[in-house]
Amino acid sequence: MTSGPYNYSYIFKYIIIGDMGVGKSCLLHQFTDKKFMADCPHTIGVEFGTRIIEVAGQKIKLQIWDTAGQERFRAVTRSYYRGAAGALMVYDITRRSTYNHLSSWLTDTRNLTNPSTVIFLIGNKSDLDGQRDVTYEEAKQFADENGLMFVEASAKTGQNVEEAFLETAKKIYQSIQDGRLDLNAAESGVQHKPASPGRPLAAPPAARDHCAC
Amino acid sequence: MPSSDSEDFESADEGQSYEKKDRKKRLSSSNYSDNALESDQNVAKSAAQSSNVGKPADKQQDADGWDDFDIDDNDTNIATASDRNDNKSKSSVSTKPAVKESNTGWDDFDDWGQDDGYSNAPREPAKPKLAELDAELNAIKDKMAPTPAPAPAPTGGGWGWSMHSLLNTATAGITTLTSQVSQGITTVLETGIGAPEPEELARKASQIKESKPSSSSNTPSVEQVPESASAQSKDGDGAYLPFGNLISGVTKFVETTGPKVISGGLDTLETIGKKTMEILQDGDPGLVKKRAMLGLSSEDKPVLSQVLREAREKAEQEEDKTEGVVEEKRVVEVVNYENLFNDFDGPVYLEALKLLSSQTSMRIEEQKRTLDAANRQAMEETLEMVVEIYELPEKEEDEDDEPSPEGPKPDAFHERLQAATQDLSIKLQFQPVVKQYKEVLDWLSNTEDVTVDVIYKQAVSSLAQATSLSMHLYHKTSELILASKIRSTVDESTALSQLTVVLRKHISDLAAQFAEKLNSISADNKQQVNEYITNIFLEAGNSSTYLETAFQLALPIIQIGAI
Repeated sequence: MTSGPYNYSYIFKYIIIGDMGVGKSCLLHQFTDKKFMADCPHTIGVEFGTRIIEVAGQKIKLQIWDTAGQERFRAVTRSYYRGAAGALMVYDITRRSTYNHLSSWLTDTRNLTNPSTVIFLIGNKSDLDGQRDVTYEEAKQFADENGLMFVEASAKTGQNVEEAFLETAKKIYQSIQDGRLDLNAAESGVQHKPASPGRPLAAPPAARDHCAC
Repeated sequence: MPSSDSEDFESADEGQSYEKKDRKKRLSSSNYSDNALESDQNVAKSAAQSSNVGKPADKQQDADGWDDFDIDDNDTNIATASDRNDNKSKSSVSTKPAVKESNTGWDDFDDWGQDDGYSNAPREPAKPKLAELDAELNAIKDKMAPTPAPAPAPTGGGWGWSMHSLLNTATAGITTLTSQVSQGITTVLETGIGAPEPEELARKASQIKESKPSSSSNTPSVEQVPESASAQSKDGDGAYLPFGNLISGVTKFVETTGPKVISGGLDTLETIGKKTMEILQDGDPGLVKKRAMLGLSSEDKPVLSQVLREAREKAEQEEDKTEGVVEEKRVVEVVNYENLFNDFDGPVYLEALKLLSSQTSMRIEEQKRTLDAANRQAMEETLEMVVEIYELPEKEEDEDDEPSPEGPKPDAFHERLQAATQDLSIKLQFQPVVKQYKEVLDWLSNTEDVTVDVIYKQAVSSLAQATSLSMHLYHKTSELILASKIRSTVDESTALSQLTVVLRKHISDLAAQFAEKLNSISADNKQQVNEYITNIFLEAGNSSTYLETAFQLALPIIQIGAI
């Protein structure tokens, strides 16, 4: 349990947002554990998940902040947007209200993150097509109008879950390559860790700031 | 005297033709920029005078500069050249005692040039250069002079004269002042930049190095250079030595000495630093005390460059030795607390708590900004009150070490956690940290026949995990408190402080148990065991620091509930 994998070269911070009950935690769980949790308890504040992925031959550690959708935590969760490289904005295709609230989530995201933060819109519960309340087309149009990436996914079947997380990472990585995302900026949400093969336990210096000031 | 006369005189004196009427008018409307402009002219004049007057004084200053380092041999007026060199090199090292004698400040300088001002003369190759430096300094100080002058601009007829004399007095004062300052600067410059000093310093450095066989190959050339340099400067003795000559001497010296200069340069910087401190101290006698308090006092403090040199040599020696120890080191490196803490997501919990803390602080500030003065005052008082309430008890070596409570330890731990937070209106999950404790205790009691390495690794890992889980606890508690509708500052403060006490105790208990385990093993390498035990307690200290950091980060979360 103690031998964590250190051979990644980047850490990307993700934040998952959206109304209560749209399946944010289930999406995360499906992505990290490849399992569907049927009775997912309400998230308190924020919970965390990590997974190491590979983009263009580079190992990247995704550090995912899964926020509570409950209104009473809104003030708390607003604190966590800062420094996110990617934001997964989730709605439930079977509940129109969750879709209608997207503009408010989007406003928060734009206000509280960087211009370079990649925002990915996920219409969850695509397995429940029979109860669909939001069409693919209108959601796609909303995404295009606001410059968001978009898929419909299912945390239950795992459909498109992997894609959403990976596409976001690719877009972030591209921004780094293009120089649109400044790694040195404090709030970029990306930490670069030069890989050190042969010395798997080289101390990651960036993680060492335990100073309160 | 009629004003027109004085004005005429003035303009004649200045060689300027002013529109006097205009000037007066502008003056009376108290236009300061104009005022300054014209006094510029005045002062430029008197400055020129003062720079002339300054010349004789400069001579004395020159001597002063040297005397700084010759205070010891003030009584022995006859000093041979070689003696002087020795004295100089000695005194450049032992500047400190000299400073101590003269910590009243300018006395330091006043002493000089009383008796041996001129006996020093023959050995002053740098003197001409100093004169130039002083001339430059004078020029600078002349430039600076005008600024204070405009202030006492008088009104009325007798303006020209009185202005002039006033300015004279003012500049005289400034001259005295600046000349004193320049004395100080000269001393620094001279000792610092003057050619002989670095030579001496470099030579000193080379002497130190010479004692080491490895570096002796370079030294002959170094030894020669100072001689040639001083020979050059002797040629120019008595006359004004052109700067270029001197520079060429220096460059030559630099070229030949190469790396030696670096050490010399370091010493030079140090000398400048020391001198600066001395000069600063004159204005601030308390500084001496402060320095003493900070342990910066000069006595038997090793020279920085010396320390650096020694450290490097030591490191080189170590390097040879450690070749064989690398393997051993690896074990410790592999068991890296921070890495393990990272594995258990400790930094992420802490970061989340930090974000929460800073965002909450910002919200408090925003609220404050919307208030009027009176309400803001009240709010600040409230915030301050919370700070006073919200404090951690001193880490007392727990006398209340309850004789191991009945029942299993994890349960007792759980109870303590619950008791600490019982007044909070929120429900906290202590299972993770209690479960981990249980696992650690199981491991300790069920693990036999393991090496000290394994125990040590488990110890650090357990501490890192317990700390990480504690961070999670602080974070969750803060989130829940923030989202809670019922707020009670006192209850929250007490709970968090009690929680910290319990967790702190928990950490030291873990450390103690692992230390015990290590001691129980009959290891062949007792020293290694002791080293491990020391490390375990060090990491436990590290954990406690994390706990205290987390506790402090929660302060704004308590504060915002109070306002």
